[in-house]
Amino acid sequence: MLEYVFILPLLSFAAAGLILAFGRWLPLKGASAGIAVAAWGFSQALLLFVKAIRGGITLPYEVSIPWFSFGGSQATLGVYVDGLTIAMLLVVTAVSLLVQIYSTGYMHGDPRFKRFYAYLSLFTASMLGVTLTSSMMVFFMCWELVGVCSYLLIGFWFEKQSAAYAGKKAFITTKLGDLGFLIGLLCLFYATGTFEISKILELAHAGAIPAAVAGTAAILLFLVAAGKSAQFPLFIWLPDAMEGPSPVSALIHAATMVAAGVYMVARLYAVYALSPAAMNVVAWTGALTAFMAASLALTCFDLKRVLAFSTVSQLGYMMMALGAGAFTAGMFHLTTHAYFKALLFLAAGSVIHAVHTNDMREMGGLRHKMPVTYITFLLGTLALTGIPPFAGFFSKDEVLAAALARNPYLFAVGAMAAAMTAFYMARALVMTFHGKPKDAQKYDHAHESPAVMTGPLILLAAVSVVSGWVLTRHEMFEKLVNFEGALPFELHHVSHGAVAVFSSIVAALSMTVGAWLYKARPEIPALLREKFSPVVEMLEKRYWLDAFFLKLVDIGDRLSAFMFSFDFNFLDQVVIDGWAWLTLKLSRLQGWLDDHVVDAAVDVTGAATLSAGRVARLAQTGLIQNYLLFVAIAVSIFAAIAFAG
Amino acid sequence: MTLSHYLALSGVLFAIGLFGVLTRRNVIGILMSIELMLNAANINFVAFNRFLYPGRYEGHLTVIFIITLAAAEVVVGLALVMAIYKNLKSVYVEDYNILKG
Amino acid sequence: MTEQIIFYLLAAVITLAALGVVLLPTLMHSALCLGLCLAGVAGIFASLGSDFIFAAQILVYVGGIAVLILFVVLLAGSASGRITRQINAQWLPALLLCGLFGWAFLKIVAHFSFGLAPQSAPEPTVRALAGLMLGDYAVPFELISIVLLASMTGAVLFGRRKAE
Repeated sequence: MLEYVFILPLLSFAAAGLILAFGRWLPLKGASAGIAVAAWGFSQALLLFVKAIRGGITLPYEVSIPWFSFGGSQATLGVYVDGLTIAMLLVVTAVSLLVQIYSTGYMHGDPRFKRFYAYLSLFTASMLGVTLTSSMMVFFMCWELVGVCSYLLIGFWFEKQSAAYAGKKAFITTKLGDLGFLIGLLCLFYATGTFEISKILELAHAGAIPAAVAGTAAILLFLVAAGKSAQFPLFIWLPDAMEGPSPVSALIHAATMVAAGVYMVARLYAVYALSPAAMNVVAWTGALTAFMAASLALTCFDLKRVLAFSTVSQLGYMMMALGAGAFTAGMFHLTTHAYFKALLFLAAGSVIHAVHTNDMREMGGLRHKMPVTYITFLLGTLALTGIPPFAGFFSKDEVLAAALARNPYLFAVGAMAAAMTAFYMARALVMTFHGKPKDAQKYDHAHESPAVMTGPLILLAAVSVVSGWVLTRHEMFEKLVNFEGALPFELHHVSHGAVAVFSSIVAALSMTVGAWLYKARPEIPALLREKFSPVVEMLEKRYWLDAFFLKLVDIGDRLSAFMFSFDFNFLDQVVIDGWAWLTLKLSRLQGWLDDHVVDAAVDVTGAATLSAGRVARLAQTGLIQNYLLFVAIAVSIFAAIAFAG
Repeated sequence: MTLSHYLALSGVLFAIGLFGVLTRRNVIGILMSIELMLNAANINFVAFNRFLYPGRYEGHLTVIFIITLAAAEVVVGLALVMAIYKNLKSVYVEDYNILKG
Repeated sequence: MTEQIIFYLLAAVITLAALGVVLLPTLMHSALCLGLCLAGVAGIFASLGSDFIFAAQILVYVGGIAVLILFVVLLAGSASGRITRQINAQWLPALLLCGLFGWAFLKIVAHFSFGLAPQSAPEPTVRALAGLMLGDYAVPFELISIVLLASMTGAVLFGRRKAE
């Protein structure tokens, strides 16, 4: 069972190749291959999960083969499986499977259908590689592959200018974060002398890594995680990434890839735990991101972007939990969030598929036309906002409790973000599904999606409803995913119950207000928009972060221009041209010497050689027998000399 | 009969062959002259073997190798002659000068 | 006595035939002379008691090489031998040189006086030769066969009509 887990990513890679090469002859244009592999992977992950919970396997499990060696170190290829890995594995395979099934409906008739599935398989393979690998080096490789897949899939409809631009933006922004990866990795390597995850963790647990080095490496690596997981200030790419097909948003930009940053922090949590500074950076960045993104979602009219901001905000929650020392809570939120956010994206995809627009101002009243989508979206919303007994309630409650235990201010920011979450989700729900249809033509054409699309929605909705409750039975998740090392700070004791009640009330209240405002009194939000136009403008400009980065690029431009003029005016004109003038003068002199001394000598030699050749040529008759005669004469002369001597 | 007789015969044969190689214009004639020289060498090998090392046969073996190589040489040589003849319509070595610079 | 008569007879045949090879103007006659000369050499081998070499000489040289040359002469040799000079311009220096060579050979032989008579009666050589070929000299023997194969392939390649 565990011995064969390494096959999972390899199989997905193979599926990608297979679809690309032979997809045209496979059933469903190759989708069948991707779905079959994903289904098999999911069954394996589920089996592993059940066995791990029942204690049927010993964790952590590690196996590797040598790859190449450098200096005195050895790079390996292998798998490292512990509870964290299994939880992530379950998320990746499940969402990948459902999204692939859903896409057969959503992408039906797309001219690049085959390529889409090849990309999805490649992405799944890379993500499984990130999840399973035993070496940070392979982790890095798969990490970059995941980024490439994200780029390819965001820009999948590259005929659209904005999609191509969004893909580029996502790639470059995450790359900015990736700057830290190699440096951080080398820091770790410097401190531990290995890229093996198990050895790094072992050394970190033993406290053998100096806190300063560990902190530096941890913060550098967090920069990477911030890029991939869309944390402040690098979250600007994620809303634009919504230009990709909706299933892609669900798989990559909600459930798996953006969670990879969280996963990485969790993976190397022992290193983070060595440095209070790093922990604080993680916690506060997470909190800030959660708050900012939630506020941005308030004014957004694009359905998918609302969800994107919501994703960013929830990722902030996860980071906040990890930074606050609540390892299990963070990973728990990652797991539940993956399911209900994938659900929300797929439901949004279903809506967009029906009305062909992302703009919520053109929707409305769709609950009559698309009942299944409406119900599942509602369940997803309830799960996200943290209404008991849905999944989000359990995980978010734990995160907030952890934040309170760490620092009351963290808790305050988190609670505000939670309230805003409930508000904007109510807003999105009402604007999309309730009220009167705002665009009659689009409303008339809308219809419920086919069963291949609603099926995954229903499944995900079921999981979203029960997963929180099921996973907290007998502390199931906590037994699977737990951090045993020491934290750098004490946590205050808080009552879970009180936090739970408080957060549910806040969420319910905020949601009710939101729903009432947008359903019964839509003129009030419009009025508020006018009243607080500077704030709205700030939100719509996304806190000027885009402008900030563009300004950064602009400053870079100006710097380049200055460097260019310096280069041109000083280096080129003075230094290089002056040198050239000197060289020219010297060359003239040398040229004269060359002509009159060196060349003359050469000419004489040439003439001598020529006349010598004229003489020697006489012997070269071109007749082979002539030469033979010379040879024979020579031999006889040598023989004569030999005998005479 | 003594060894000297055989060596003398071999020497005469070699000299005749050498003359042929040096003077025949016809390339097939040259090939034939080379065969004469090879035969002179063969006579030497066998004679030395017979007179100086009776009971051993390495000389004979060498002669067999030479005969085989001579056969190979003649085969390739004649094939070349035929190929050249097809192109140049001549068997005289002075005409074989198209490689001259 | 008989032995001497045979030797001198063979020597005369070989020398005359060899002269015929190098001097006769018609290539056809030269080739026939070559066959005679090679047969004479075979006789010399026989008189030296080398039965296997005798057979090989007859089979390979007289039966194979001489006939092959005859074929090529028939194919390529024009009948112009009688009209065109067959001896090139350097015949005089060559003659002098070869005369010198021959004379020197004879002097050398006389000088070292290999007046050696055979020390034993000749024995059959085939069994011993076979032992050598498949024993100590197996590798050169196989190499020779590779050389033969290569030359055969080469000859086929040269002789092949160009694909048009």
